[in-house]
Amino acid sequence: MKKDIAIFLLLIVLCAIVTALNPRFLSPANLQNTARLIGAFGIFSLGLGLVIITGGIDLSVGSSFALLGVLLSMMLTEWHLAWPLAVVAIVGLAALLGAVHGLLITRLRLQPFVVTLCGLLVYRGLARFIADDETKGFGDAAGFRTLQQLMTGSFFGVPTPFVAMALIGAVMWVVLHRSVYGRHLFATGRNEVASRFSGIDVRRVIVSAYVILGVLTGISAIIFAFYTNSISPSSHGSFFELYGIAAAVLGGCSLRGGEGSIVGILLGTTLLQVLQNLVNLLGIPSSLNFAVMGGVILVGVVGDQILQRRAARVVATG
Amino acid sequence: MRLKTAVALTCAAVLVLAGCNRKGSSTHTLAFITNNASDFWTIARKGTEKADAERADITVEFRLGDGTAAGQKRIVEDLLAKGVDGIAISPVDPANQTAMLDDAAQRTLVFTHDSDAPASKRECYVGTDNVAAGRQAGELIKSVLPQGGKIMLFVGQIDARNAQERLQGIKETIAGTTIQLLDVRTDDTDRVRAKANVAETLVAHPDVSALVGLWSYNGPAILNAVRDANKIGQVPIITFDEEDETLTGVKSGAIAGTVVQQPFEFGYQAMTLMAKVLAGDRSGIPSSRQVFIPTRVLRQNDVDEFRKKLTELRGR
Repeated sequence: MKKDIAIFLLLIVLCAIVTALNPRFLSPANLQNTARLIGAFGIFSLGLGLVIITGGIDLSVGSSFALLGVLLSMMLTEWHLAWPLAVVAIVGLAALLGAVHGLLITRLRLQPFVVTLCGLLVYRGLARFIADDETKGFGDAAGFRTLQQLMTGSFFGVPTPFVAMALIGAVMWVVLHRSVYGRHLFATGRNEVASRFSGIDVRRVIVSAYVILGVLTGISAIIFAFYTNSISPSSHGSFFELYGIAAAVLGGCSLRGGEGSIVGILLGTTLLQVLQNLVNLLGIPSSLNFAVMGGVILVGVVGDQILQRRAARVVATG
Repeated sequence: MRLKTAVALTCAAVLVLAGCNRKGSSTHTLAFITNNASDFWTIARKGTEKADAERADITVEFRLGDGTAAGQKRIVEDLLAKGVDGIAISPVDPANQTAMLDDAAQRTLVFTHDSDAPASKRECYVGTDNVAAGRQAGELIKSVLPQGGKIMLFVGQIDARNAQERLQGIKETIAGTTIQLLDVRTDDTDRVRAKANVAETLVAHPDVSALVGLWSYNGPAILNAVRDANKIGQVPIITFDEEDETLTGVKSGAIAGTVVQQPFEFGYQAMTLMAKVLAGDRSGIPSSRQVFIPTRVLRQNDVDEFRKKLTELRGR
C-alpha cells in the first residue's frame, strides 16, 4: 500500500510539472488520447503483473499481439466470420496459448523465461508466415463496424479501452486482494515449496495466472489492432511485454514473486504513458523517449528501495 | 490452410522442376536481398520474377532480410558459399557494412538497391533518389500551404539514410518560404507510438498546418490520428509510399498526395542490369554508378489507375 502511495505521488508531481510547462496536458483531447493508451497497455499489464506475482514472467506478449492481430484481420476481412465469433476465437486462442505456457512451466518444470522466449520467437514467425509478410488491415470495416466503434470509441467521453481497464482492474482487485485464490497467488510467488506443503495446488494457481494473462492479452490485442488499424507482422507489438513488465515493477511487483498490487500496476502503466506523452507535449526530442522512461523507472525503483530500508530500520530500532 | 500449403508446395515443386528443365547449367544465379520483410518487397519480388522469366541466362533467388546488419551478413555469406554469380542488396546500415560489401565484391558481382553504400566497392546502385523524392514532397507541401505555416514530420528513425535524404529534399524546397519545420518525431517503427505521436502533436501544436509522414506506415498513422481528432480536411497530410490506407486517404482527399517509389522496377532493373554485366555488356552502368528509378506523386485522380496496377503486381 505504501508503495502505491509513493508511485502515486511521483505521478502527481510529474503531472503537475508537465501541466505547469504545457497546460494543454490537461486538455480533454490529450486526456482522451492518453487514457486510451493507458487502457490498452493497462489491460495486459494487469495480467503480466499477476504472472510476475507468481514468480513467473512472459516475454511473448508482444509477439502474441502480432499473431492475434493478423488472425483477427484475416478472420474479419478474409474469412468473414461474424465479429463476436472472431472476438471469442481470438481471446480463446490467447487463453489457450497462456495455458500451454503454464502447463510447460508446471508439468515439464521449464523456466518461464525460456518457455515464453520461445513463444516470442515462434509467434512472431507464425504471424509473419500466416500474413505472408504483408501488412494486414481492416479495410472499410464492412460487417464489423460495431466492433471497430466499440474498440476505438468512447463511453460518455471516456475511451472504451480505459473503461474496460477500469472494470477489469476492479474485478482483478477483488480477485487478488480479497479472495482465497489471490492469497494462493501471493503465497505461490513468495515460496512455492512451502505453499505446496501447506496444501495449495501450486500448479493450478500458476497455470491459471498464465490463462488470465492470455485472456487479457487477447483483449489488448484486439484494442491495439483497431488502434493502429493495420498490423505489420514483423513489427506490431514489438517489445510491448517490456512496457507491461516495467509497469508491474514500477507498481511494486517484485520479479522474485510474491509482491505487487493491482493499483500499483495501473499506476505504473499510467506513469509510463504519461512519460511518453510528456516527451511530445514538451517537445523533448523523440530520441530521448526511452532514456526519459528508463530514468524515471530507475528513480522510482531507487526511491522505493530507500523508503523500504528506512521503514525496515524504523521497525528494527523502534 | 493445410490444403493451401500443399497446393503451394506442389506448385513450387513444379515450378522448380520446370525451371530446371528450361534453364541449362550455364545460367547465372543472382540473389536479391532485402533489408526487412514488408509489402514493398512483395512488389520488388515480382520485378525480379519478371526478369527471371524474361531472361534465360539468369535464375533469381529472393531473400528477405530481418532488419539487421548481422542477418544480412549471414545471408550474404551463405550465398557466397553457394557460389552465386551476383548479389543485389539493400544494406540496412551502409556505413558499417562497407567491409562486408567489399569482401563480397571481391568474390562476386555486387549491386546495391533501395539504399546505397557509395563508399563500398559495389558495382552499381539501382533505386530511388530520396533527395529528389523529398523535393517532390516539398513541392506538395508548398502546394497545400501557399500562405506558409508550421509543419511536423514523422518517421521511424531519423538516422536512417533515406529519412535523412527525404528530410534534406524537403528542407531544400521549403527554404526561403514562410513554411516552418517544427520538428521531426520518431517512433522506432512502433505503429502505436507513431499514431500517438501524431495525436499528441495535434494537442501540443493546435496551429500545426500540415503533417508529413516520411515512412510508409506513417501515412496510415497520421490519417487515423487526424480522423480520431475530427480534423480531416483541416490539417493537410503529405505522405510517402502506398499502404492501402494511404491510397484510400489520397482517394478521399484526406491526404493531399503521396510520393511513391517503384519497387517493381528495383527488382526488374537490378536483375536485368546484372545479367547484362555478367554477359559482358556494361553499357547500362552510368559513370555515376547510380541508376535512379524516378518517384512519382500520386494525387486524388491518380489512385484508381495506380491501385489497379498495384493489384496486378501483388498478384492478389
